[in-house]
Amino acid sequence: MKPENPILTTLSVAAGLLFLSPVLYSVWMSFQTADAFYTGKLVFTLDNYGRAVGEFNFARYLVNSLIVSGLVTVLGITVATLAAFAFARFTFRGGDLMFGATVATLMIPSHISLIPNYLTLAKAGLLDTYAGLILPAISNGFAAFFLRQYIRGIPKALDEAAYMDGATPLTVLWRIIVPLSRPAIASMALYIFITEWNNYIWPLVAVGKQDLYTLQIGLARLYKINPGEGLVDWPLVMAASTITILPVLIGFLLVERHLVRGITMGAVK
Amino acid sequence: MLRKLTPYLFVAPLMIFIAVFTYVPIVASLNLSVRQWNFLTPDMPFVGLRNYEELFASSEFWNSLWVTTVFAVLSVPLRLGAALAIASRLVRETLPSRLLRGALFLPSVTSTVSIAVVFSWVFATDYGMMNAILSGLGLGRPQWLQDPHLALWVLIIVNTWRQLGYDIVIYIAGLQAIPQELYDAAAVDGGRRFHVFRRVTMPLVMPTTYFLLVISVIEAFQVFTIVNVMTRGGPAGATDMLVNLLYEIGFVLFDIGRGSALAVILFVLLVTLAILKSRIIGSKVHYEA
Repeated sequence: MKPENPILTTLSVAAGLLFLSPVLYSVWMSFQTADAFYTGKLVFTLDNYGRAVGEFNFARYLVNSLIVSGLVTVLGITVATLAAFAFARFTFRGGDLMFGATVATLMIPSHISLIPNYLTLAKAGLLDTYAGLILPAISNGFAAFFLRQYIRGIPKALDEAAYMDGATPLTVLWRIIVPLSRPAIASMALYIFITEWNNYIWPLVAVGKQDLYTLQIGLARLYKINPGEGLVDWPLVMAASTITILPVLIGFLLVERHLVRGITMGAVK
Repeated sequence: MLRKLTPYLFVAPLMIFIAVFTYVPIVASLNLSVRQWNFLTPDMPFVGLRNYEELFASSEFWNSLWVTTVFAVLSVPLRLGAALAIASRLVRETLPSRLLRGALFLPSVTSTVSIAVVFSWVFATDYGMMNAILSGLGLGRPQWLQDPHLALWVLIIVNTWRQLGYDIVIYIAGLQAIPQELYDAAAVDGGRRFHVFRRVTMPLVMPTTYFLLVISVIEAFQVFTIVNVMTRGGPAGATDMLVNLLYEIGFVLFDIGRGSALAVILFVLLVTLAILKSRIIGSKVHYEA
């Protein structure tokens, strides 16, 4: 790498901040009082966070989002890894067809299943439950496809040596494939988590009970019901918005490079 | 015997979830789309193609198709043009370019609802960021989201802001795959910067452009969250994109038959586009490993 040009670095930081300014300003605004915001005074308060978390139930929504996204990620990555292992390592009747059906889900727009899934879960009595939020999101064709490609790159001799020693397929998967696929599994897990965290349309139709709102639904409702009456209470809404953004933002900053690499691989292969 | 069964046990969970929540719903939608039902009545009579006929006869369907098409036609070139222009300046792995890439990519992992809320404030008529700037410059205070001529533009800007980073990352991957020798050769021939861009860069990133083109058209036909949060399709249907109409018919009016018919139409449209995509990628994209 060449030595960095300090002017260029400064300029690109400035451009990045300008690009992100709406969000940055919204975070700043969340520390203002409504009065100060409308009159242009400057204050610093954590009041909006207190109200969002207490009065407007965002602590509960945060917990709901963590439960739903967390479980979807764990279950989704498990299901995808199991299938990816079979697709990568076994030749079996119908295997190609099933792999094709998995890849084809990438082309199927999710909206075709909106009404039928709603009806299925209503019939099973699972609307307004965590299970209803989680079940339709578990299968992830992209993760299964991606992991299958990755596993195929792991030398098969490793599996064979283990089978010689009497290992079962499950041990091979757990002791050899999973440890060696850790970067791919991690980036897919993050991908699933972010997608589910930001999911809006499904929780919107599947949940009516306020106790089960995810952050996305809670935030959209808070903005629409307009607690300021007449004037929107922007500082309060922005505090709620910041709570909604923050967990994913932190996760993203921790593993940015992995995720970007994963997304690029998926797109150009 | 057990050995033969092993792979089936491994793929079974995924197959069951895909079948129940992806493939069966397609058939179910087809079935529901030829019935009349509102969730409440005990039976759902078969009505043939009436739901489709009603849709095709309604102005809201054509309006929605038109709005969605306009959205796609305006936003896709904007996204791709901006992304390529920016990406071609951020190809090199230096600290400044990595920082800027990170900033530009951030919105694509940020909650869309948050983005919609934040931009509702940016484009609020009073106390909004945009009008604070414009009125400061003496340019007036447009009623962005209440103005039928401007509201769709606001959604296009918000969607572009959100997706730009993704497009840039993909373009950078495409640009980095172009062999440096080609640029060196162009430099030896004394090619001007713009010329090199047009004659070397543009044709060689064409596969990436095709890919992004189809991806972003498909994406444009699925836009929902920003519409639902920012405008709910208004004012006067000016931003009533297809998935928003589907949501309103299915889950606000509870007209399951007509909603399913619309879902089927949207499905056929998007799958056609997706097949087009895989054709294009199959035939035109050759990435070296």
